Amino acid sequence: MPLSVKTFDTVHEAAAALSAERGSHFCGGGTLVMRAVNEGDTTLSTLVRVKDRSLSQVRASGARFSIGSGVTLAHLLNEKDLSFLHPVVRSIGGPAVRNMGTVGGNLFARAPFGDLTVALLALDAVVSVHGSYGLREMPMEEFLSGRDANRGALVLGVSFERPSSPDAFRYRKVSRVKPKGASVFSIAVNLPNMGGRISGARIAYGAMAPTAIRAKAAERALEGKTLDQTTAAAIAAVAAEGTSPATDSLASAWYRRETIGVHLRRLLLGQAE
Amino acid sequence: MLELRKDIFADERDDNLNEVGKPTQRQDMLGHVTATSPYFNDHKLQGMLHLKVLRSTHHHARLRRIDVSEAERQPGVRRIIRGSDVPRNINTLLSLINFGKDDEPSLAVDKVRYKGEPIVAVVADSEREAFEALAKIKVEYEPLPTVFDVEDAMKAGAPIVNETYPKNTFTYHDIYDHQKLRFGDVERAFDQADHVLDERYQMSPIEHAPTETNGSIAAPETNGRYVVYTSTQALFFSLDTSAKILDIPSNKLHFIGGTVGGGFGGKVDTLTEPLAILGSMLTGRPVRYMLGREEEMQYGSPRGGERIYIKDAMSRDGRIIARKMRCIFDSGAYTRLSSYAVVKCAAHLPGPYTIPNVHADVYCVYTNRVPATAMRGFGVTAVDFAIECQMDKLAHLINMDPMEFRILNAYRDGDMKAHRREAKNTALIECVQVAAEKAKWNLSESAKRASSRKEGSSARASMPDSSRAAAPVAASYERPATAPASSFSPPVVQSTVNAPPSAAPPISSPSPTSHGATRFSSVFGRRR
Repeated sequence: MPLSVKTFDTVHEAAAALSAERGSHFCGGGTLVMRAVNEGDTTLSTLVRVKDRSLSQVRASGARFSIGSGVTLAHLLNEKDLSFLHPVVRSIGGPAVRNMGTVGGNLFARAPFGDLTVALLALDAVVSVHGSYGLREMPMEEFLSGRDANRGALVLGVSFERPSSPDAFRYRKVSRVKPKGASVFSIAVNLPNMGGRISGARIAYGAMAPTAIRAKAAERALEGKTLDQTTAAAIAAVAAEGTSPATDSLASAWYRRETIGVHLRRLLLGQAE
Repeated sequence: MLELRKDIFADERDDNLNEVGKPTQRQDMLGHVTATSPYFNDHKLQGMLHLKVLRSTHHHARLRRIDVSEAERQPGVRRIIRGSDVPRNINTLLSLINFGKDDEPSLAVDKVRYKGEPIVAVVADSEREAFEALAKIKVEYEPLPTVFDVEDAMKAGAPIVNETYPKNTFTYHDIYDHQKLRFGDVERAFDQADHVLDERYQMSPIEHAPTETNGSIAAPETNGRYVVYTSTQALFFSLDTSAKILDIPSNKLHFIGGTVGGGFGGKVDTLTEPLAILGSMLTGRPVRYMLGREEEMQYGSPRGGERIYIKDAMSRDGRIIARKMRCIFDSGAYTRLSSYAVVKCAAHLPGPYTIPNVHADVYCVYTNRVPATAMRGFGVTAVDFAIECQMDKLAHLINMDPMEFRILNAYRDGDMKAHRREAKNTALIECVQVAAEKAKWNLSESAKRASSRKEGSSARASMPDSSRAAAPVAASYERPATAPASSFSPPVVQSTVNAPPSAAPPISSPSPTSHGATRFSSVFGRRR
């Protein structure tokens, strides 16, 4: 069966088309879907595209940002208010990939890709999804856990709050080829600080499980603590809890588990890689 | 700053070239930056069909049954090509110069020898339809024992990868399973050495990763000719290879190259042309066959992984008096160009150093891995890496400056090389001196005064008769004035060795001038 491409004016029509047919996939920038097409993935039968421009807008209200799923990674680099995300975006692909790749697409990238999603998870982002049931907002974690089951839904965008201070949000990508290599793993942390003590810490990993995940044991160990050597060492000790990394051409699962704590400790202490 | 030391290279060529040291625009740069460079894939011919191949999912397996009946009935499918459709379904690239036996089919017939080996080709109206048809082909495999390590492959009882070479080693001159280099007597030197360093080096395969993957488009011309637009980096080599596989005169093929979108040695294998032309012959239509990115990365041949053992004997003052090497090149399942890499390697040993006793065996070994091929200095680059790592370790062993250590051991004009050729126009010493100067690396006065034109020849030019008797264990040197302090006593110069080496091999080819590799290599007597 030939591959068909359907382009719709509205999000509603596109969402309906996605849920109507099993082999239909949404195509944003095409960095994931077109690769699959070109490599001969015959399970894709229809590519759904949408012209609705609201998907490619970045909006800010107060400290909260809403980013359309069709916003490209290159576009994020042009948004000065999102400068805390720029190191994350720059760690993804090269200029050609960033010019095409979108925020929505990154949510579906499989390990060891999808570094932006790791940052969004640490920022407690909320995902807006248009499914057969209509519009729904869900936390990143819930979205990621059901991601592969809900292929018929259309992601409209994500929203999140600016980190409480410039120092609160930190990101590190460990890769073997710099600057464009895929992740051995990536780490994003958001450390809201209440009078010198961490409160509501978020630690997220990429490439440590099939989807981006939160390191909840490490988050708990950080709660109410001040960030010092002792705390960082204690957190490093539990850093690999709950992870299930893959063995691939970049690193073995063993290596990922062994080294995640080292890099997390250095990130927390502000040390170099 | 780039400078050409005309005082050293004055005799090398009579040149009035005016380019070195100046920026020169590449001739193809304008086309690249304006996106007008012509590539083979820019040709979209009317009625063009697309060819895709089904690849083995096993590293080594007998093919018990291939069922294409359902694939043939798929919409858009014009032709299924099997191994039996290929006129001469066995070839080796260097057979064009009478080097090696035909060992590789275009499409596997009885068994597959590496994961990714092509088995069946589908020609269809669109790439999509070709992919869908591939999914309908059923192949029944009978997995066979595999071997992935070169030394395992050389053991008795190892699985036979390629029946053309049942010992899993390439055959040189119809009888030898490796290339051999013998000069002096290394064992004697090891007995006399103050230091012996025995090390192992393992290289990894490297993919060329061209921006443009391998591919070609073939189309019928008039008078039974076929035009082929191709990415090849070796146009007439690919033309002759295709003519041989298709069993047609080469004047029936009209090859048109374009810009090679990245070659580096990865586009000499003629991976796509024969099947594209055959597809065109069988359908009467233009046929395009281009590797996908994953095919290029996984199954386009890489630089081979080499295992290199180096055992050196060194006197206390830092002179290497013997070097024994064993290099085992992983050719993967088929020869392609690895046999030639071995010849290049043997011609290169023991590196640019005057070592009076050299012993080297270099093997081309078959394993169930993706066949290796040419890549930028293949056969030499890896061995140089190993040799230079070894040189650093040796220098470290006697606490000597690594730069001075190289100057001490560097070959000089008039020295006898292990290949029984006089070293000429040597300049390693000068290169090291310039490198040290540029890097602000302090050399001793004697090292600064050293010259490729001094201290060579005389005893260092002597030719040991390794098959019978006299061989110098140590070459004679003037000892540098500031050589490292040691309880060194002058080496035994011109000591003789009476014991003949076990198994004295023939050093040269029985008929070297008729050997195919003469066109490539100076080892057979022609200097390029």
